[in-house]
Amino acid sequence: MTQNRNKLIDIFIGNLTNSVVHTILEKAVKEDKDYLADKYRKEFITSLEIAKRYRDKINPANIPLPEKDISFIKEKIIRKVKAELRIRISRGYQEINLNEIDKEVNEALKKTHIS
Amino acid sequence: MEIIAKISKGSNMDQIYIPKIRYGLNVGEYVIIKPLKEEKPIERLYFRNINNIEPMKLEIIKEIIKIIDKNIENENIIITGSFLDKGFNFNDIDIIVITAEIGKKEKNIDNIKEKIIEKINIGSHILILNNKILLDGLSKDPLYLLMLSRCISKKRFIYKIKKRVNYKLLDLHLLKSKILINNFDFLNGDEKYYSLRNMIAISFFLENKKINKNSIEKEIKRIFSLDINKIKQNLINKQDFIKKYKLIYNGVYKKILSGIKNDTKQKQIN
Repeated sequence: MTQNRNKLIDIFIGNLTNSVVHTILEKAVKEDKDYLADKYRKEFITSLEIAKRYRDKINPANIPLPEKDISFIKEKIIRKVKAELRIRISRGYQEINLNEIDKEVNEALKKTHIS
Repeated sequence: MEIIAKISKGSNMDQIYIPKIRYGLNVGEYVIIKPLKEEKPIERLYFRNINNIEPMKLEIIKEIIKIIDKNIENENIIITGSFLDKGFNFNDIDIIVITAEIGKKEKNIDNIKEKIIEKINIGSHILILNNKILLDGLSKDPLYLLMLSRCISKKRFIYKIKKRVNYKLLDLHLLKSKILINNFDFLNGDEKYYSLRNMIAISFFLENKKINKNSIEKEIKRIFSLDINKIKQNLINKQDFIKKYKLIYNGVYKKILSGIKNDTKQKQIN
């Protein structure tokens, strides 16, 4: 059961990482703001939507997780997001703001009722 | 004597209120009520890469165009997506309305959607764009090209665009296909198909290949040796599929990263 919970948390982390990376990259392509707001990619299920569904399977589902779990999940997501973004920065991607990570991760955790 | 009045909604019957103080049109008299704007019959539609379509669908399209014309002043109306595929296996109708009044008329969308459901009982997905955004999308977004490679429109439209590869944007779009790698068991067949189609379209865009539904599905069949229906029905062998999918994903991702690197170098030189 614990193993199952850990696996669910792992997949949840992966999806929330993708979601946060997406949000930060979206901010980095400011010149295309109008065009990105077109909402035409309706077929795509987003990482945040998937993360929410996984969240519902992680106990306790209706209340925030224990503090120990929250900090474990948060730290892991921050590490993964940083790694993803640093790959891009190392290739010369310039407008990525790493200072946004903490704020975006906190918001994502709230949206998924982790914290 | 003529009076212009608006039809208002009533509980049992709708009604038209006219001023009490008026010349003529006395109580008890019979009158003719007709729309202020004469409905112009839709003379013809324009087809792009569509050889055959069921007559019933054409009637539906004409009805949709009438509804939209009444609610939004527009330059063109484009019908696209799976509704145009053979048969009736579609979820909703994808509609693009080209108008200069983008932003102001967004509230009308819900109204139009409701009217379409009322009249023809089919859900719709409506996108309101202006010409600038449409051309911008066509110049740098593979899914825009895919969307308009096969469509029916109210007016003829010819687009001559200069392709611009924006690697940062493609990076963002490719991220949407990453979902499939970690959530294979979780996604349904359609979601897998859209992730796959997105990735192949980006790859074609980078390779300057022609983007349309046929070319992309042909490529998917070639790489995965899979029938498109099997993917949509979620009848895929996970191990085999994911292995090939990751390989292509990583290849496209690498190309995008080198593109970003080259762009940055170029900017520094300039």
